[in-house]
Amino acid sequence: MKVEKIKQNAFVKKVGFNRIVLIFVLLLMYLAFGALTGGSFFGFSRIMNTLNYVYFLGFLSLGVTFVIATGGIDFSIGPVMFCCSLVSGYCLTTYGVPMAPSLIMSILIGVLFGVFNGYLVAYWKVPPFIVSMASMNIAKGIAAVFTKTQSVSWPQSTTDDGWYRNFINMNGIPVGLFIFLGISVICAIVLNKTKWGRYILCLGSNEEAVRLSGVNVKKWKMLAYIICGTLVGVASIFFVAAYTTVQPGYGDQYNNEAIAGCVMGGTSMAGGLASISGTVIGVFIISLLQQGILALGFTKEYQYIITGLIVIAAVYSDVSARRRKN
Amino acid sequence: MGEVILTMKGIDKSFPGVHALDHVDLEVRKGEVLALMGENGAGKSTLMKVLTGIYKKDSGTITYEGKEVEFKNTREAQDAGIVIVHQELNMLGHLTVAQNLFIGREFKKGIRIDDKKMNEEAKKLFDRLNVHIDPTETMSNLTVGKQQMCEIAKAVSFDAKVIIFDEPSAALTESEIEEMFKIIRDLKKKDIAMVYISHRMDEIKVITDRVTVMRDGTYVGTLITEKCTKEDIINMMVGRVIYEDPKTESAVPKDAPVVLKVEHLNAGRMVQDVSFELRKGEILGFSGLMGAGRTETARALFGADPKESGDIYINGQKVTINNPQDAVNCGIGYLSEDRKRYGIVVQKTIAENTTMASMKDFMNGIFINKKKEVEVADQYVEALATKTPGVDELVVNLSGGNQQKVVIAKWLTRNSDILIFDEPTRGIDVGAKNEIYKLMNKLVAEGKSIIMISSEMTEILRMSDRIVVMCEGKKTGELDISEAKQETIMNLATREIE
Repeated sequence: MKVEKIKQNAFVKKVGFNRIVLIFVLLLMYLAFGALTGGSFFGFSRIMNTLNYVYFLGFLSLGVTFVIATGGIDFSIGPVMFCCSLVSGYCLTTYGVPMAPSLIMSILIGVLFGVFNGYLVAYWKVPPFIVSMASMNIAKGIAAVFTKTQSVSWPQSTTDDGWYRNFINMNGIPVGLFIFLGISVICAIVLNKTKWGRYILCLGSNEEAVRLSGVNVKKWKMLAYIICGTLVGVASIFFVAAYTTVQPGYGDQYNNEAIAGCVMGGTSMAGGLASISGTVIGVFIISLLQQGILALGFTKEYQYIITGLIVIAAVYSDVSARRRKN
Repeated sequence: MGEVILTMKGIDKSFPGVHALDHVDLEVRKGEVLALMGENGAGKSTLMKVLTGIYKKDSGTITYEGKEVEFKNTREAQDAGIVIVHQELNMLGHLTVAQNLFIGREFKKGIRIDDKKMNEEAKKLFDRLNVHIDPTETMSNLTVGKQQMCEIAKAVSFDAKVIIFDEPSAALTESEIEEMFKIIRDLKKKDIAMVYISHRMDEIKVITDRVTVMRDGTYVGTLITEKCTKEDIINMMVGRVIYEDPKTESAVPKDAPVVLKVEHLNAGRMVQDVSFELRKGEILGFSGLMGAGRTETARALFGADPKESGDIYINGQKVTINNPQDAVNCGIGYLSEDRKRYGIVVQKTIAENTTMASMKDFMNGIFINKKKEVEVADQYVEALATKTPGVDELVVNLSGGNQQKVVIAKWLTRNSDILIFDEPTRGIDVGAKNEIYKLMNKLVAEGKSIIMISSEMTEILRMSDRIVVMCEGKKTGELDISEAKQETIMNLATREIE
């Protein structure tokens, strides 16, 4: 049988190529929006607003990257993020739980959902699509019940407890950016240089081959979901640090944006191929897009339409690149 | 027996690297049951696929009812009256019998489906065949045997003049086979021609009129069932000259210790009370036809599939193997049949695949020691002469033989002492085949022990020290290489219990 020196190598190169293209797209978009708004887009507050969006969306995207790498999917990330900040916020404001434990609780709730999702997918073999749909509703339900369907407002920066806002920025220094990039680097190292990442990527590519090599694939699959859950918990902190108020029943729209950012960056929905740097760039693009649309005077609804279209475009290009490869 | 209704002459069909059909002839007469026999890979299914339009022949003619034909797809063949009853039933369990029979050509009353008419027509059909099945019954409630009869009825309802049965009795009980034979005899009386593909000698003897034998893609000959013996048929099936010298005697000393003992392994229909031993430095060949249960036995042993019962002893010690992890930790490695699906992770590099089963030896704290990975992978690429520009190459870019070498390297890296090779040279060209054989001999010389599952007779006879033969889930025989002949093995592989 003739060896076909394809395209697999070319595809991998394509991912790398993709990232450069993406950065170009990002810059172009930035300049375009700037031009369209007569320069007002380049203002400091605009940048801060964009960054605020990048942080929480970024953590969601990083988390879901691990899940998609295993060939799975997670639609519960948005609602779970809200559940985390609603429940712990309620404990903070109503039950008087101190700030630090509340923040930790936020993360722990995310971890719990990660364990739940991961266990069902890996050990009970329930399709990820179904599990995450269920989780999504459970998260919304728990949040609504816990807070008695009321919204929760986290403390302002001027209060005693306001120090958590420093995660976003401290006296004008974008601390959040450093934290986000730092954690992204850690994620990249885990994915590319550790046994965890190796197993996660390989089982996403060919689970049975990995299982027959004597690896406990269930454990590692579940781990991907736990990593995701942890990052969702972190995302919830950055969300409230930027936007203060959370309401039950929301969160779905962030699912699409997070997944779009991930897939746009080169992570394949089929599993086995993932890029943290791509995800980061993808998240910046989506955040910039969102800000740009608002700046041009369009309402949020337009953003939904455009994001939806981007998701389709990103997944389509992933699928057709895959088909070409085969 | 009637006149000839179908003639296939000089049918030739090649696929890349494989000459599947080499000027094959076939002749079927009205009202006869013609057995089509041959080993796996002989070309039987390929020939039938050419006939029914699934494959396009490269050359040759098909004459049906006096006219030359070439069907472009199964629908055309069906409409003309040539139908296959497949081994795997294509029935929709949740629909009724009648709905299944007329799927795609339902009787309609305006835009609604006329269930009443369908049930009536179905009943008429069954009456014609003397079959007692309720057309309103849900398909999944019927036994496999009855479902098969529905398939046959469906075939007849297409006004079939030629019905091809592909391993029809594989899933049937004795009494169901009897019922099927009754239907076949009825169909004979109606002048319907039938081709019966099966390896079950006893059935061939009972129900067929003539036997056509194929071997290695060629037509060997046709015998009249009444006038021939089982030995005659087997001789035609295997009577090839073996060019590579078969092993004449076992290379294993008489006192070699038993490294693996399997006792009373049970895993469903495909693995029934299988017991065997593997000695150190031995190549134990597992022979049998496809569907004999050899891969299933290996997978049950390796923990890849659940088993109902069975004891496994390694070097005399009883071990518990419930999943591949356990097996690998006991020193067993499994090279599966389908490399691409179960052996290699295609999107990863040679180095990454090589260390897949031994990751804990390549860690530097929590980080992967990629330098060591590359070193070890390089060593094996050299030792196994794997053709590749480097260990960073993605395995999907390698040829079959070289991919196989990467899988072997994976188990060598793990230092597995017991290796199960499932069809080790399938889809590999001759040159690479020989390299793999050399490699296997080198491994056993170094003290490793190999179980080699193979459907290639030449391979079995060339490499094995001992041979275990399986048929339909049971171990039917065990031979030392010195007493093994093609005919004996084929005998054991075709449902003959010692």
